[in-house]
Amino acid sequence: MEAWIDFAKGPLFAVTFLIMILGLARLLIIQVYNLIISKGGRLKNAPWKSILKDAVTWFIPVKHLIKGTVIFSAFSFMFHIGVILVPVLLADHIVLWENFLGANLPAIGQGFADFLTLFTIGCILVLLIMRVFVRRQRAMSKPMDYFLLIMVLLPFASGYFASHPGSNPLTWESMMLVHLLSAEFLLVLIPFTKLAHIVLYFFDRISGLHWQLRPGAGDKVARALFDEEARV
Amino acid sequence: MSTIPEESKIQTVKEKKSYPYYIENPVEENRVERFLEAFAAILKYTDYKPLLDSYCNSSAKCNRCAVTCPVFQVTHDPRDIPCYRTNLLLDTYKRYFTIGGWFKSRFTSTFELTDDIIDEMLDGFYRCTACRRCTRECPMGVDHGMITRLGRYILSLMGIVPKALQVSTREQLEGETHNTSQIPKAALLNTLEFLSEELKDMLGIEVEFPVDKMKRDYVFFCAVSDYLLEPETLMGNAAVLYASGDWDRWTIGTCNYDGINYGLFYSDWHLESIIKQLIAEVDRLKGKNILIGECGHASRSAHDFVPVFSNGKPYPVYNFMEYTLKCIKEGRIKLNNDIVTEKVTYHDPCNIARSGWIIDQPREILKSFVPNFVEMTPHGKDNYCCGGGGGLVSVDEIHDFRMNIAGKVKAEQIRRTGAEIVISPCANCKKQLKELVEHYELPCQVMGIHDLILKAIEIPGAKSAAERNEEAEMFAM
Ligand code: HEM
Ligand code: SF4
Ligand code: SF4
Repeated sequence: MEAWIDFAKGPLFAVTFLIMILGLARLLIIQVYNLIISKGGRLKNAPWKSILKDAVTWFIPVKHLIKGTVIFSAFSFMFHIGVILVPVLLADHIVLWENFLGANLPAIGQGFADFLTLFTIGCILVLLIMRVFVRRQRAMSKPMDYFLLIMVLLPFASGYFASHPGSNPLTWESMMLVHLLSAEFLLVLIPFTKLAHIVLYFFDRISGLHWQLRPGAGDKVARALFDEEARV
Repeated sequence: MSTIPEESKIQTVKEKKSYPYYIENPVEENRVERFLEAFAAILKYTDYKPLLDSYCNSSAKCNRCAVTCPVFQVTHDPRDIPCYRTNLLLDTYKRYFTIGGWFKSRFTSTFELTDDIIDEMLDGFYRCTACRRCTRECPMGVDHGMITRLGRYILSLMGIVPKALQVSTREQLEGETHNTSQIPKAALLNTLEFLSEELKDMLGIEVEFPVDKMKRDYVFFCAVSDYLLEPETLMGNAAVLYASGDWDRWTIGTCNYDGINYGLFYSDWHLESIIKQLIAEVDRLKGKNILIGECGHASRSAHDFVPVFSNGKPYPVYNFMEYTLKCIKEGRIKLNNDIVTEKVTYHDPCNIARSGWIIDQPREILKSFVPNFVEMTPHGKDNYCCGGGGGLVSVDEIHDFRMNIAGKVKAEQIRRTGAEIVISPCANCKKQLKELVEHYELPCQVMGIHDLILKAIEIPGAKSAAERNEEAEMFAM
């Protein structure tokens, strides 16, 4: 068991982390290329002012507490605080960052970390319950949407149990292994599922640029499909 | 928090009705193959692929788009959830045009494009007014308006377009009159003469409309239907140009006088061809700027796409309200603020407000001479579509849909303001709102902003606004 844990903490973490970074880098490059480089000079004329204004105002979450999604939005926002802070700034994780990246980050206190973890777990449960019980949200949900929430829940829950032996239903070793493997699986999932929004989100904010259509393209499409007369 | 829309007490429409539109030559055979063929051609030559890639990856399935969509607010029908409809296209893309989709289909029974799904798209993409209200709320920036348009584009390549739109664009691009309302040049000239006479009667000014004048600062295009349906708006435009002293700085071209561009709603090729036709007319007249009359989508398509499709330096495009506001600010026109005593509200056309740059200008104009101005809630970028956006207003056979579903929220909104006059500076919105006012028996009148200016403008050497007002009242009795 010890050996497994060491393997998961060492090489497996390095590989999965690298997969995530490379996967996200790939998306980043594709987005920069498609949205900026390939459109080139056409972007001069884009309505930058309104696009950037909308992009920036979207970051103010209270602007989006619209009727019908207030609870969802609030919990989703709080969920993200935990999901970003805990994995990065937890005292035990700081060691990982030091080992692999040489980074020296400040840790958050154990008490606060516990609170944030439970809080995040609570948020995930609320999000899950809403998805099941709000009819219009259920109507558009696919198995993946549930699966990802559960996949985020797993490392949080197992991490909490592992650090609180009193509440742990399994042995520390097995719980730790669950924690490591589920977290690493999540890392791999990030660039290939909707979790890729970690990068894509920022490009989505400026996706209005896609209205800068390619000149002449419509003509080529029509040419490929039919003869001159049939077009209009 | 002005952005919070009031979902209000809108009653939901329970029945699952479809509202078919006429199609010129409905295709029955090989629809799936033809759809995929058209989709493939689009992906090959246009820039939509990266957009689809990114949307496929990111939708959060969060349901914000549903609660903001005026259609869903009324029907509460899952197929009207913007994300659901968009996914019809995204799923098709994923299944047939990505490696992952192909791979998945080898192992499991995944999404397959069928005739039923095409039917659903054919219905769904014309149940969305492409107003883009949902897009503003979507955390992932999914532009359902653009996807609706792309879906319609693919369908149009297999011949599925509402006949009303297709016939109009055909006339505009290939017909003799080169405009969507089939108004021949002689009829245009007649109308202009008639407008001159009306202006003389009403204002007491002698003007001849400038036609085909070369090297003018402004070449004017309105929604061509205005020449038939909205003489007051055009007279308001003319009065502003006359009063500001710019009468010899503008012109109307007779080879092309139509600003309408249905390509914005369903096809890249049409969009580009119509824009090029517009540019060609300005080239011919050696004009300097393009001035678009009161029309939302004409303004947006010219403003956004003249730069995209021009070779070389694009002509600047202005909406008429920008011009009028400039004249007011420079003190070149005077509006009498005692004339309009009614309660007035303003409807933001989606294409120039949410998808454009015109929100404050009309309000500045109105507040300068209308003492009793009220806002709708919500307004500006968060406004509700009139229910006739995306070309739907031109499709007469779906009148029921526009009234009972797409326009219902708007009608409620207007009713709540208690306004007697609804200003709507857009040919499409005007038509739809007039129909809504009639359908819901709202106690108000719909008009363009220049109709109101026409009442209140003071022109030196002409009849005063008060005088005209009195005359009009006598006439009404
Ligand atoms: C740069 C950081 C991030 C940003 C800007 C961001 C943004 C968002 C946004 C805007 C949503 C849509 C939900 C809403 O409308 O409120 C969302 C959903 C979601 N995010 Fe993030 N996110 C980030 C990082 C993460 C991370 C690190 C994870 C976890 C690994 C994560 C997991 C999720 C999940 C699971 C959902 C879906 C929630 C549901 O299904 O109800 N996000 N994110
Ligand atoms: S574009 Fe408008 S009509 Fe279409 S789905 Fe979005 S909000 Fe609804
Ligand atoms: S608002 Fe955007 S992310 Fe949310 S369900 Fe609709 S399309 Fe998906």
